Amino acid sequence: MQNFLHRRNFLKAGVLSSAVILTNGCSIFGITTSRDTIKVVQDDLFPKAKELGINTSNYISIIYRHHKIATEDKEFLKNGVKWLNETAHDRYQKHYTKLPDEKRQLVLQEIVTKKWGKNWVDSMMRYIFEAMLGDPIYGGNNHEAGWEWLAFTGGKPRAKRMYL
Amino acid sequence: MYDICIIGSGAGGSPIAYELSNAGFKVVVLEKGAYYKEEDLTKDELAVSRRDKFTPPLWEQKHIINEYSASGNFTRYDGAKANWSFWNGSMVGGSSNLMSGYFHRMKPQDFELLSAYGEIKGANVVDWCISYEELESYYEKVERVIGVSGKIVPHKYLEPRSTPNFPYPMLETNGVTEWFDKACKELEFTPIPTPRAVLSQAALDRKGCVYSNFCGSYGCESGAKGSARAALLQKCSAKVITDAFVYKLEEKNGKVTKAHYYTKHKIPHIINAKIFVVAAQAIETSRLLLNSKSKVFPNGLANSSGELGKNLIFSAGGSGSGRFIFENLTKKQRETLMQPGLFFNRSLQDSYDYNDGCRIYKGGTVDFLFEHQNIISRVNRELYDENGNILWGEALAQKIEKRLKTSRLLTFEVFNDWLPTDNCSVSVDTQEKDKYGITVGVINLNSHPHDLEVGEYLAKQAVEVLEEMGAVEIEYSISSSPPPNLVAGGCRFGKDPKHSVLNKNCKAHDLENLYVTDASFMPTGGSVPYTWTIYANSFRVAEVIKKELLIL
Repeated sequence: MQNFLHRRNFLKAGVLSSAVILTNGCSIFGITTSRDTIKVVQDDLFPKAKELGINTSNYISIIYRHHKIATEDKEFLKNGVKWLNETAHDRYQKHYTKLPDEKRQLVLQEIVTKKWGKNWVDSMMRYIFEAMLGDPIYGGNNHEAGWEWLAFTGGKPRAKRMYL
Repeated sequence: MYDICIIGSGAGGSPIAYELSNAGFKVVVLEKGAYYKEEDLTKDELAVSRRDKFTPPLWEQKHIINEYSASGNFTRYDGAKANWSFWNGSMVGGSSNLMSGYFHRMKPQDFELLSAYGEIKGANVVDWCISYEELESYYEKVERVIGVSGKIVPHKYLEPRSTPNFPYPMLETNGVTEWFDKACKELEFTPIPTPRAVLSQAALDRKGCVYSNFCGSYGCESGAKGSARAALLQKCSAKVITDAFVYKLEEKNGKVTKAHYYTKHKIPHIINAKIFVVAAQAIETSRLLLNSKSKVFPNGLANSSGELGKNLIFSAGGSGSGRFIFENLTKKQRETLMQPGLFFNRSLQDSYDYNDGCRIYKGGTVDFLFEHQNIISRVNRELYDENGNILWGEALAQKIEKRLKTSRLLTFEVFNDWLPTDNCSVSVDTQEKDKYGITVGVINLNSHPHDLEVGEYLAKQAVEVLEEMGAVEIEYSISSSPPPNLVAGGCRFGKDPKHSVLNKNCKAHDLENLYVTDASFMPTGGSVPYTWTIYANSFRVAEVIKKELLIL
């Protein structure tokens, strides 16, 4: 039973942990994982979450395995990680996660001028808010810190289990 | 064999199940969705509103949507690819579980739209084949059995009633309603306390409202909301079979003999009954009948007229809002504004019809309500600045905090007639199939330009009220986009079998034992949400079926 659970957890984490191969159109210049990039970019996009003690990046693994989220949307999230890093490499010859704060902000400002970038940041922001302000049972909204920030009282009865 | 087999467990089917099973008949209800009881109905925004827990995934079950332009051309959308859903509550009790329960009766003139207001070019307007008087006692029955709370206020368009008031007192309201009432008085409008299908006190073996702050879109954990499940199915002995997708009705010698259904794993089942009632919500009802072809009915069951699927209607109108901000309010007013839980519950019907200087037009209803409490949705609305630039970081955090903690949005919804037209209908696709292998429904969408003119007229009145109340950032949108939860038509009832699918009693002209009791029967929709009328009509038809079964 324990082995089965380990394997299932491994599979759940698989999409986030799997390698994203970065190219400049001709050659491979690097490999990263969605998890590394998403953690940094979410902190860049909404530092308030971290300030409130809320980890939003783990929530993305729920999104990747949710049966109600279309495969295309999951692929888009993953592709966005690749394109973000490729933009960072084009400008500064480094992975996004290796750049200093101000350069990461410049990369974000650049990608939102493109249709894919604006849509990707839009999706990422909405998932950050879902993590921060959804029922704490989903693992974000730590001790209802997100609700407390906005003086919001969650509806009752509260969720008894995650809907995945 | 069952006496009666009902397909669909929502507001159209459940009154039949309730009345017939309580009269001692053997009743079975086939429901595609699952059975959620009070204890299952949690306020999980991620599940209910973000992940659409109560509707099927579009890549498993979708519609094809043909959107018509004024020139008569159309654009075809694959519902799954366009993420365009027309599903509502796929669950026992149907979408009545998720309604807000703003209950208005249709008015006498709604039953004779053609006679009262005349023809409108390009619209297939007809009079109903029953009058308001014939439905009044059933509206009253709904007040008692489903449970409607409110307070009658005399006004120009108050429909005739057989009882002086509602059986249940008004729900508690937020103090801002006093600002609304004062503004209406200044403008010489009549503020109407919105009747609600929500019990304000324990009754009918159900609890009273607990003011959870999450009513519309959510199931009711207290049982106060008059869903078909809480008010009817849980109060009768009708057998409910869940996970039962009915894909075909079989006909023999002018009678429906069998309902064929699949479980989600595509295990086939058959139900035999003396009488069949279809109430799968308008689009799916037409789709089922169109997919139930036979030698006698090559164009779909009960479709000798060719009218099946035609004249689909929605509720026309739109929505708007105005914001109340702390800077403009006293300390006491701020506290009143931010009171959680209590309802707003105000409506306007001052322009249920109006004269534009040339002729009298049918108008409609405006319901006012506070912005939904869904916190993620409210925060998402702050994601862009006024120029459409996406925001992030500290600037966004500050904007969200200020907007949500020092202001509140009062919204309004406009309801006016969606005029029936030739290009608004249901058909079935020749190629696309759902996960069961059944051809999917095609929704042909067309709105009459007159709908927008009426919607604009009503929205401007709502704006006047918001301005008088001191709201800022007032805006509205009247559009031709159809609200998927306010759908009717497709199986018109009428006297003439050549121009209607159902007779006066909602029985198919073509068959001896097939009834349709969801909103499909409605030739026009009135200028109010449909649910009260669906319930009332279904109670009316239940009386007819009861008499019929007694002589079978």
